[in-house]
This record gives sequence, C-alpha cells and structure tokens, in this order.
Amino acid sequence: MIPDGRTPVFVVTGFLGSGKTTLVNELVKKLGETLVIVNEFGEVPVDHHLLQVAEERAVALPNGCLCCHLRGDLEETLIGAAMRRRRGEIAGFDRVIVETSGLADPGPVAQTLYADRALERDFKLGPIVTVVDASEAGNRNLGLSIAKSQIAAADVVVLSKTDLSHDASGIEDEIRELNAHARRVRARFGDVDPALLEKSGTDPVFSSVAHHDHGFHSFVLEFDRPPRKDLLERFLALLVELRGADLLRVKGIVALADGEHVAVQGVRHVFDRLRPIANRPASGLVFITQNMAKHDVVALWQAMSSLEGSA
Amino acid sequence: MFLNMKLLSHHGLNGFGGMGEGMSMQLARDGRRILWLAHESAPKNFTAVDVSDPRAPKVVVQTDLPHAQMRSNSLEVAGDLMAVAYQVTKFGLKPAGFELFDVSKPEAPRSISFFDASGPHSRGCHQLWFVDGKTVHMACADPEQKPRNPKDDQVYRIVDVSTPTKPRAVGRWHLPGTMEGDDAPPPERLPGKFDAGFRAHNTNVYPQRPDRCYLGYIDGGIMVIDISDQSRPKLVSRWTNSPPYNGFNHTVLPLFERGLIVVSDESVKDNAGDWPKLVWILDGRDERHLVSIGTLPMPPVDAFKARGGRYGAHNLHENPPVPGAWKSENVVLGTFFNGGVRAYDISDPYSPREIAYFVPEAPEGSKIGAVQINDVFVDDRGIVFTVDRHNGGLYALEMKV
Repeated sequence: MIPDGRTPVFVVTGFLGSGKTTLVNELVKKLGETLVIVNEFGEVPVDHHLLQVAEERAVALPNGCLCCHLRGDLEETLIGAAMRRRRGEIAGFDRVIVETSGLADPGPVAQTLYADRALERDFKLGPIVTVVDASEAGNRNLGLSIAKSQIAAADVVVLSKTDLSHDASGIEDEIRELNAHARRVRARFGDVDPALLEKSGTDPVFSSVAHHDHGFHSFVLEFDRPPRKDLLERFLALLVELRGADLLRVKGIVALADGEHVAVQGVRHVFDRLRPIANRPASGLVFITQNMAKHDVVALWQAMSSLEGSA
Repeated sequence: MFLNMKLLSHHGLNGFGGMGEGMSMQLARDGRRILWLAHESAPKNFTAVDVSDPRAPKVVVQTDLPHAQMRSNSLEVAGDLMAVAYQVTKFGLKPAGFELFDVSKPEAPRSISFFDASGPHSRGCHQLWFVDGKTVHMACADPEQKPRNPKDDQVYRIVDVSTPTKPRAVGRWHLPGTMEGDDAPPPERLPGKFDAGFRAHNTNVYPQRPDRCYLGYIDGGIMVIDISDQSRPKLVSRWTNSPPYNGFNHTVLPLFERGLIVVSDESVKDNAGDWPKLVWILDGRDERHLVSIGTLPMPPVDAFKARGGRYGAHNLHENPPVPGAWKSENVVLGTFFNGGVRAYDISDPYSPREIAYFVPEAPEGSKIGAVQINDVFVDDRGIVFTVDRHNGGLYALEMKV
C-alpha cells in the first residue's frame, strides 16, 4: 500500500438557508483539527460570523461565487495554508472544509483540486456534501438548475431540518431521481456521523447505481475487456472536449489491459489523472450527466475501441 | 505542529527526559512490549518503559551511571540480552566499552559482562548494533590503536558475544590514514568549524546481507564493508558528500528489495549553523558504485533555524531485523531536532514526498525553547516512538498514512 499523506478537502454546498453552516459547525466540533474556508456571497458575510471555529482556522474568501472568478483565491488560500503549516506558522489540520456560497456549483472546487498540480501535492478532494432543506418544498429550490447541479455532484446529500419535516420521503425521492448514487443522510441540527462523510469522499465508487430524470442521467459504462490506459485517457479527453460541460460527475475503478486498476474521477471539463489503486474490484465508470444519455457515451467508446482493435 | 500524526501519549521519564539514540523494543516473555531507551547524558544510564498500551506508558526501571563523566547514548536488545554502550568524556576514563545485561526480567536487569575498550586514546563506545544475539557491531575506540587525530578515535569494531559472559573482539576496520602506522596519508580534514572527525558512527548489519556492514563514518562519508571474514573487514565502496557539504554522515539504511540506500547526516550546530544537514537517497543497485539520486524534502531552513537548538537531519528508523519492529521499504522516518519526527514516501525515489510529521511543543523546562527530537523507533503496530534530546522524554504517536 502506497501511503497518500494528502489532506482531504470536504466541499459543503447547498442552497441558501439549507443549513450548511450548522453542518460545518457540527463537523468541526466532532472532528477537531479542521481548516474551514468560507465562501461569502453578498454584502453581509452572515455565514462566516455564524461559524464558531477558532479564528486562525477559519478563512473567509472575499465576495463572489467560488464557481466563477474565486477559484484563484481558493487555490491561493489552500497553497498558503499548506505553506504556513509546513513552516510551522499554524499548528496543523487534518482536513479542510470549504463551505461554498449557496449559489455555487461545487464542480469547480473539485476541478481546482484535480487540475492544480501545486495543490495536488498537499490536498485531495474529499466528499462533496450537499445540504438540502427537508422541511419545506419551497426552500429547496429544486426547480433551479444550480440546486440540481449541487445535488447531482454530491457524494453525500444531507437532509437538514428533518425535525421540522413531517415526511421527508418525498424529498428523498426527488433527490434519488437527480442522483441515485449519492449517500443520503438525515440530520437534525447538523448532527451526522463524520466517518460516513469521510468514507464517501475517499471511496472512488458511488455507493449505489441507478438512473436519472429531469434532464439528468446517471449510468454505468462497463468495459467488455480491460481497456488500454492510453485509449481510456484519449476517450475521456475526447468526451471532455465534446461535452465536458455536461459531465456533472464521473467516477469509478477501471481494470486496465496491463492488469493495473485505476481510479477515475472527473467533474465537468477536468479529470484527475488516473491513479493506481490496489485491492479494489473494477466498478465500471459511473456517469452523472445532463443532456447526454448513456447511448451517446457508449457509442463513442465503442467507436474508439473498435477502431483501435482493428488497427 | 502535525501532519497525519497524532500524539497518543507523552512521558517525561520521571524528570530525566534527555534521551540519546538508543531505542529498542523487547517483546517480553509475559507479553509486554518494553521499550528500552538510552539516556543522552548522565546521571541516568537507561530507562525501560512498558508501552504495551501506547496511550499509557509506564516506566518499569530506570538506572544510574557510575559517574557523571560518561554516558550510554546507545543500546540494543536482542531477545533477553541488552548491550549498552559506554562513552567517556575524556580519554583514558573508565568504564569505556559496552555492558551486557540479562533483561529477561525487565524490572531487574542483571549485568552479565563488560567489554573493556578503555585506553589512553579511547573515549569508548558511542554507538552499537546488536540484533542477532551473537554479535555486537559498534563505533568504539580500539586501545591497540592510536589515532593521528584524537577526533578519529572510534573505529568499526566487531565483538562476538555468543558466549555472553565472555565478549571477544574479532575484527575491526578504520579509514586508512587515520591511525598511527598507516601507510595511507591522513585524510584531508573539513574546515575547522566543521571538522567533526573521521570515525565510525552507525554500524548496521542485516540478515539479508550478513556479509556486509553499512557504515556511517562522520566526515569520512559512508562505506559498504565486506565482513564475510569478520576478522578482516574489507572496504567495498565509499560515498562522500563532504566537501562541499559539512560532514557528519550518521546512519546508513539499506533497502534491499529496492536497491536503495538511505543516508542521514547529523546536524551538530545550533541554529542550523552547519546547514544543510539532509537525508540522502542513494541508488545502491551496484554496491561498488553508489549514486546519489535525491534528498528528502525538509521544511524551509529559514522557518526553523531560529526556533532554538539544532535543526537538520539525525537518526532514521532503521528497520531493525528484530521481532516487534516495523519494516518498510517505501516509508522512511527520520528525526530532525526542532523539526520533529518526519515520515516520507519514497516509493518514487526520484520524487520523495513528506507524508506525516509531528513537532512537539517545547518541553517544560526547556532551556532552548524548542524540542530536539533525537531518535525514532516504529513498532510493528505502526506506533511511532520518538524522544527528545534534552528533557522532553518519550512521545508515542499514531501515524495515519
């Protein structure tokens, strides 16, 4: 087993007022040793002030939305935190929690961690946790595409305010239709088992597989025979080039022709490099997409693999 | 300061927490794990700590030296036998050499024999290696020899202790040119402020290559020594980094399955006055041609040099071939004085990565205002034990990698 040593970055997202800050506070209380990065949006940084973490372990990014022009700030903050830790200027932290603004698509945060080689040395993507208000259908805003994207990208969906909800089964159905792969956890006042979140984030496969709705699709691409690594890389590159914007999340373990197993992870236009992974069975590739059905992806793979095979 | 290491416990060793570079684990007959520790300086000789529960270490015995002009610094346990080095502060003093103890009852170590290496040109034994229960390999003066420079007194010596009551010297090797009567000219010394000596330090021998000693030789570099005939050790190869570096090669750790050799320097000056003191990775596939291919990345010197005391490399976890010790060819742990204990992934030896570290706060009563992490031992449960040189005692850590 090759040790990793990188610090996981949890991404906590969810629509305005869904209970993200409550969840983050609870996680920090239970886990300790956490660096919290808050992405504020709007004139008054309310969420930041609600956070009860120690001052030196909380960083607020300036106004703006992480999914847009603030990615550079996030990179800078993370690299700066790693440097200060290395220099002994801060004691240390076991994880980072990035709380996005309610209007953020969590994808770009993941992309930042996959794409930035300087960040990759010290950090890795942990779970994407999306908080959904279970108490009132009107608060959930599932009609908005940004809210749907948040759920579609999630490893874990935390249903908050379940104490205020008489029946959360309806919202669970709605979530399942958007993202059946994510683990769903009910929480009162942010009270969740952190170990569950940590495991979901480090696991390169989703906990379950199913289909789709509302223009969102989720499916598994199975491989008839183990592909060559370079062909798989070219396939993913072409897919990204053609339809990267519609690849909300891709993840899985693939057995390669040379016998190696690799973890595949991608969000929209950016994929992590194929990382060798030991002692895990192949899972195929799970896709969560928008406006792109399984047969489109399968057709591309079949075309590339058959041409490659006949060469 | 920490990364992927958590403090499980800290023990001040009853107020005598200045520890040397002897850490060895005994799996006692009653099932306990006893960690034997050599003190860095007088008045204490060695301390045994029951670390069966690393969260609640208990001192089981602590012994005194005969006088204050000596120190033990180094020890090793093999089965129920323990060898303890004795080094004196002035040439000619006694006891200088090593003492063998029966530690079958950890609470009551019983002296079995003493190997005398005292003499007018001897400071005795600084460090020893004893893993097979039969042979002590050590950095120790040889009273039959007179060094041309008094700093070069400790040579590589082999002592047969298969009859523990009668230790018997069987072989020795020194860098040609360092002793009176040598044909070779004296070695060119490092500049005065870095001239620490051409003498032996660590003397590691492993069952994978019982015919080889991996020898650190301070300012003389490191050597691979052929000991297939222990009465006549022969030089196979030598690698040096000084000059232009500042000497004091300390530990030589071979990773046999990977064809690598890890070498640590020792920082011996405060405030990083002899920087850089590093851990080097050598390609050792051809033992006759050792090639340096990298160093382990350390925190920036400017951030640590003024924290108090020394900052730089020192001891490594040496994969001791004994029951109870952790062995790894992919992860290397080292100690770096005020830089704490650090773990590195060297699965890609051309691009080693720091994966964990722990730097304790300055121990209570520290005169320099910083910890001086001196040595490390990892047991086969993955528990990292590390000690402070001045007064911090023993730290037990959990490594999360």
